[in-house]
Amino acid sequence: MFLTMKENVVIIGGGIAGMEAARQLLLLGYNPIVVEQKEQLGGHVGKWHRLFPDMSSAQDLVRRMEEDISEANIFLETKVNSINRLREGYQVMLSNGVNIACRAILIASGFKLFDATRKEEYGYGVYDHVITNADLEAWFNGNADPRIPHAPESVGFVHCVGSRDLKAGNSQCSKVCCMTAVKQAIEIKERFPSARVWCFYMDLRLFGKKYEDFYIGAQQDYAVQFVRGRISEVSEALGGQIQVKAEDTLTGKPLRVRLDLLVLMSGMSCNPEMTRLARMARLDIDSDGFLKSLDNIRSINESNRPGIFFAGACTGTKTVPETLAEARAAALDIHRYLQKGL
Amino acid sequence: MIDRISSGFHPFVLPFLAGMIFVLGYCLYGIIKILVQLPAEDRKRFFISLVTPKTFLKNIRDIFCDCLLHVKLWKRNRLLGYMHSSIAFGWFMLIVLGHIEVILFLPHRIHLFYYPIFFNFFVAETDSTIQGSLLFFLMDFFLLIILSGIALAMIKRVRSRLFGMRRTARPSLLNQIGLYALWAIFPLRLLAESFTAHISGGSFLTEPANWVFRQFLGNNLNMLPTWWAYSISLGVFMFVLPFSRYMHIPAEMMLIPLRNAGIKIRNARKGFARVEVWSCPNCGVCIDACPMSVDKANIKDCTVYLTRQIRRGNERRIEEISDKCLLCGKCEAVCQVGVEGPALRIMTRAERKYALPQDYSSIPVESLTEAAKGSKVLYYGGCMSQLVPSIGRSMESIFRKAGVDYKWMDRDGGICCGRPMFLSGRIKEAEEIVRKNESVILGSGAGTLVVSCPICYKMFKEKYTLPGIRIVHYINYIEELIDAGRLQVTRSDLCYVYHDPCELGRGAGMYEEPRRLIGRIAGIAEAPKNRSESICCGGSLGSLTLSFAKREKMTRNALDNLYAAKADALVTACPLCQTTFSRYADRPVRDIAEIVDMQTVGTITKTDSI
Repeated sequence: MFLTMKENVVIIGGGIAGMEAARQLLLLGYNPIVVEQKEQLGGHVGKWHRLFPDMSSAQDLVRRMEEDISEANIFLETKVNSINRLREGYQVMLSNGVNIACRAILIASGFKLFDATRKEEYGYGVYDHVITNADLEAWFNGNADPRIPHAPESVGFVHCVGSRDLKAGNSQCSKVCCMTAVKQAIEIKERFPSARVWCFYMDLRLFGKKYEDFYIGAQQDYAVQFVRGRISEVSEALGGQIQVKAEDTLTGKPLRVRLDLLVLMSGMSCNPEMTRLARMARLDIDSDGFLKSLDNIRSINESNRPGIFFAGACTGTKTVPETLAEARAAALDIHRYLQKGL
Repeated sequence: MIDRISSGFHPFVLPFLAGMIFVLGYCLYGIIKILVQLPAEDRKRFFISLVTPKTFLKNIRDIFCDCLLHVKLWKRNRLLGYMHSSIAFGWFMLIVLGHIEVILFLPHRIHLFYYPIFFNFFVAETDSTIQGSLLFFLMDFFLLIILSGIALAMIKRVRSRLFGMRRTARPSLLNQIGLYALWAIFPLRLLAESFTAHISGGSFLTEPANWVFRQFLGNNLNMLPTWWAYSISLGVFMFVLPFSRYMHIPAEMMLIPLRNAGIKIRNARKGFARVEVWSCPNCGVCIDACPMSVDKANIKDCTVYLTRQIRRGNERRIEEISDKCLLCGKCEAVCQVGVEGPALRIMTRAERKYALPQDYSSIPVESLTEAAKGSKVLYYGGCMSQLVPSIGRSMESIFRKAGVDYKWMDRDGGICCGRPMFLSGRIKEAEEIVRKNESVILGSGAGTLVVSCPICYKMFKEKYTLPGIRIVHYINYIEELIDAGRLQVTRSDLCYVYHDPCELGRGAGMYEEPRRLIGRIAGIAEAPKNRSESICCGGSLGSLTLSFAKREKMTRNALDNLYAAKADALVTACPLCQTTFSRYADRPVRDIAEIVDMQTVGTITKTDSI
């Protein structure tokens, strides 16, 4: 057996989790098969501009990771149609007609960016100058966006859009948006030094390495205004400016500002496509809609079905380094599982 | 016909007599109590209505149609309609015919009011006449009708689903006693009359039965015990009547004239409210109707249980039930008697004392009035239009396309319409807000007030005094613009299902207009439960205590009803319904203003106002 073919491992999702796991599985001597819905690898990170805390290029990261897995089988623009249980292992049927028999599957399907139109009160899709964090990153990457004025004088960031929000159906914290808002606020200030930048937050959760430094820097070096208080009202003033009413709960005063651009920090929500697939494979789904790990301390990578493993944001909100670490751990778990079976 | 018993009395009538006197006494006490509890002006209004020929005739007609024939129930459910009217009208006819018999044959006994009830016991047939046979025939006929109704009632007790009711109210002990007594009355009457039929005479039901019984009994020993049993069952029924659901029989006859006099609930326990509570027949139609009862939850919070708890004086439960309700008004819409569930609850909420009074006197109206001046048309979007900006935007676009010179009254901050305060029972505070808005609107010099939120619209229509100002819902306004040729619409291929918002449909009676307007610009499909039976979206401001998770279930249930129409998108005319549905809907949820705006072209630029 050890002299014959390399063993298949199907990886659902070609974002950073799937790519990193594929790299590790290649090194461990397996044949990873990456199935990606979109036309390119990289997932959400592939569309991002720069990553905190090093402000390194997201595109570079994805490019390097892609080079590392050039030997792997990669199916782009392909969906998983079904996962069937075999006597030993699984049969995965893909939308391109390929059927794969394998003993281990890694789910790295990630998250879905919260659809900001569902918080209509913030005016995304209704007002002319309201965008999301993802839109801003795309603009940083050079994509034109008519909603972003040439020289904005005031820019606002709204934290927790669709995160920690029961009414939006997402009770979880998306972890990265606080820091992303701080990062993007700084980047806006770098591009438009004279602009006034506001951040409206309910809590700032800056837990990671160097996050706090960014926060202090944003205030000291870039004069970003942090206002603790959720926005009560967003309306469009005559002339297309965005008028925001909020309460500064630290001073206890109502506040009204006119902005040229409002950026909504859309959070992470579960991937409904994956939920459909998980039901088919009889995987447990957690109360927050994400996939349910065997436990949340020691076996985050393991599912309730033997041979099916998780990595990255499919089990909950994760940062980039957390996702990569999980992908490596998942690869090792799969290796151990397959060895034990031999 | 001759008297069989010369004294005209027999002790077996005593249970009935005592029960009857008790019921009449209790009703008299009830009437006096209610009249005393009514505010003086309502009392005066009531007395005037009683002597006004028009309302007098209406009272008679309504009592006859609603209490006896159950016409409304017939329209809703024929089986239930037959069941109720057979018992009510049949019994009424037995009493009427009994009196006719006494008047015809033994006029000297008419002062004994048990005589018409027990006529067959007290008489002996001497010769048969056409009149007599006809009367006896009718007596047996109506008895048969009642018995068929009782049989249906028994089947309903076991299988309510056959009658289209998934859930019915759980009967309390006294209700059960009343129920079994009522079921016993008519079979016992049949038996009693059958045993006596060879003496008193009978007809197609009682005479054959008499013949059969005599074949194997051969004596008259069963006669008296059966009449006793009949009288006792009547007595038991009368004694529990005031404390059971059967109080609705006399109470409804009081409720109808009071309602026709235009009297409203002003106190949750007294006066008119008390009559409504007594009038609740505990049928439980409101349980199936209640949007909260999805997944068998919150059943004990439906109006039928509210009236029960008010009768019991269980303050803790009354408060709980009153606070939880969404005030969607569906229980009132389906109620056969017309118990106003929402109003009872709002008035209960109004009893509450708050530690901190709200004071709105400092809100300045001058700056708002200044900002509202200058146009003939004033547009009031309401607070919700800030949360659903697409509606306000579409309205602005429509105004612009039609060339309407308008002012958006609360575009940049305004005063709430007051409805949330009113719904939470803080009526004084609501009125203070209303006065503020009235002063802004009257001061603006506008002649037309266009309102896009049905919650506000209901408030403006019912609680505002705005002389000389036309309050118009935007659906009507848009239709007028189209009819006047100022707005040109094109048709879309999409098919929409329209959700009737509670406040617009049941609240303001607008069912046709929105459908007509949608029909002009797109296809329209109907959900199984629509119009007055439309299911609340679950987002209502009415509930003070319902948790978000429970509301989600209601929203999903309401959505399933709309999905059944198999339309491409949902459309509604309430910003609150729209946001609530958008959270979980699998297809777009739009406002009528939005779809009108999408289907109009701006051609006319003349600026004036209609």
